[in-house]
Amino acid sequence: MENSSIIRIEKLVKRFPVGRSEFTALNNVNLTIDRGEFLGLVGPSGSGKTTLLNIIGSLDTPSEGVVTVLDNSIASLSHKQSSKLRNRHIGFIFQTYNLLPVYTVYENVEFALLLQKLSSNARKKAVTDALEWVGLTDKIKSKPAMLSGGECQRVAIARSMVKRPEIVLADEPTANLDSKNSHHILQTMKSLNKELNTTFIFATHDEKVMQYLNRKVSLEDGQIVKDELMKNSKN
Amino acid sequence: MLSLKLAFKNLLGAGLRTWLNVLALSFAFVLIIFYNGMIDGWNRQAQRDTAAWETGVGQFWHPAYDKYDPFTIEDSHAPISEDILKEIENKTLAPVLVSQATAYPQGRAMSVTLRGIDPEQEVLELPSSKLPQSDGIDYAIIGKSMAHSANLEVGDKLLLRWRDKNGTFDAREVEIADVFKCDVPSVDNGQVYIALSNLQEMLAMENEATLLVAGETFEMRELEGWDFKDNEFLLADLQAIIDSKKMGGSVLQGLLLIIALIAIFDTQVLSIFRRQKEIGTYIALGMTRAQVVGIFTVEGGAHSILAILLGAAYGIPLLLLLNKNGIGMGYAEDMAFDIPVAEAIFPYYSFRLILMTIMIVVVTATIVSYLPARKISKMKPTEALKGKLQ
Repeated sequence: MENSSIIRIEKLVKRFPVGRSEFTALNNVNLTIDRGEFLGLVGPSGSGKTTLLNIIGSLDTPSEGVVTVLDNSIASLSHKQSSKLRNRHIGFIFQTYNLLPVYTVYENVEFALLLQKLSSNARKKAVTDALEWVGLTDKIKSKPAMLSGGECQRVAIARSMVKRPEIVLADEPTANLDSKNSHHILQTMKSLNKELNTTFIFATHDEKVMQYLNRKVSLEDGQIVKDELMKNSKN
Repeated sequence: MLSLKLAFKNLLGAGLRTWLNVLALSFAFVLIIFYNGMIDGWNRQAQRDTAAWETGVGQFWHPAYDKYDPFTIEDSHAPISEDILKEIENKTLAPVLVSQATAYPQGRAMSVTLRGIDPEQEVLELPSSKLPQSDGIDYAIIGKSMAHSANLEVGDKLLLRWRDKNGTFDAREVEIADVFKCDVPSVDNGQVYIALSNLQEMLAMENEATLLVAGETFEMRELEGWDFKDNEFLLADLQAIIDSKKMGGSVLQGLLLIIALIAIFDTQVLSIFRRQKEIGTYIALGMTRAQVVGIFTVEGGAHSILAILLGAAYGIPLLLLLNKNGIGMGYAEDMAFDIPVAEAIFPYYSFRLILMTIMIVVVTATIVSYLPARKISKMKPTEALKGKLQ
């Protein structure tokens, strides 16, 4: 598979209004991410990890600078275009899973495909495949309230992967999980990364996640302070 | 379609809150149909009874006659032509001669209208055949309300005093031959029916009439010297009263609907307040803000669909039962309403009424759902994902 850069960030600045003044969450960030990377944005709380992740995921826009994701300049996308980008090419995994409570596991995973207007058969196959990847085929009729935290996060992974996106953005995916579940989740994501060449980007300060990363980008006060390749990562 | 599917899923997932709203809205839905159905049923019944007892399919009036102006009665009479006589013989027209008089039931004086009617007529349901003509006694028939107010019964004598064509006062005693039961106050209240030939003789108006009532078999045409008044004109007062009743009822229905809609509005506001994370997730998964607004709007609007289904489940049997058995109104002997009220009203639910009610319920529920849902379009997805209040 081709390992070309799919995310380019140049001189990114993000400011938020706080009362009458402004808070700079990201300051002059430059970063290039290649296809198939298993990358972590690490740093303490308030360092700008989630903000950077949100901008890459086109949930937010830069105040200054250029962010290009899959050849789309995030700042110039309309609401509709950014929705399309998220729906087709980007998967999200959240710390609190964000599963839709009234839907079953199957329906939660199927949701993203409904927006793509795929046929019922194509959806069924894709959902079954995704649930097989995360080992939850026996829970398809369960609702999120009936699942453990680890199972919920596996459903969230299946939901993010079902549309086979180029990029998966995971914001503190293991923060609510115990050690065993965290490793299980990370192994699942790592194997999907290898199998499908999906780019995974984590925002984390969990040491367990860092063991699996190929590349670690450290942020502090909105700036990249270190960008290192991890040669001894697990798997 | 996707919005609808998701909306129903969310709605049913919300459980009791949904069903309480749906129940309130379904009450409004069923009650609106019931009330309007009853008014429509009453309207139809009143129009049918008035046509059967008083107006036929229309009336030919003497040009001077105005039923709202008693001063015109004196001059409102004309001879019945040969042409018209043939129609009367064929029972397609019923002549009526009208005059004012004073009745003295048990010594009291009361104003009455004397109506001369052909005992042989078959145009109106009035039991004119109960007016014997040839045993030397003058007979009259009156309605139950008139009998009640004058304290008269069959066989009682009633003294009448009137002025004839020449302005001469005359008086005569008539015997009550029948007391009929009729729902139409204008046929009953203060009306005394006498055989046409008797009244013509009493008023010195031989072969004259004030108006001619046309029956269903009358081939509609102009009659020279007579003005035709159709039922739209003759029943205009009745229609106005029904319309005013409908208007009064619509205030009550509106209030009921508003209460149900406030419940939906409140649920929607609460829903958007509590489900910010879900809204953020929808957006993160690739839904446009407009689509999310659509989901929440359809979700609120879908209350109305469920309300219609629930309303249909208990409303159809109930309304059909009322339609079959009617709603007892009792017999108002004094006819205080001045509007035809049958002993039982049979509600009439037209397709238009049901369709309009469905439209009103669905459209209003959708609008009140859209108003709070608009807020979503201003939400920042990053804040929504955190569940932060915005």
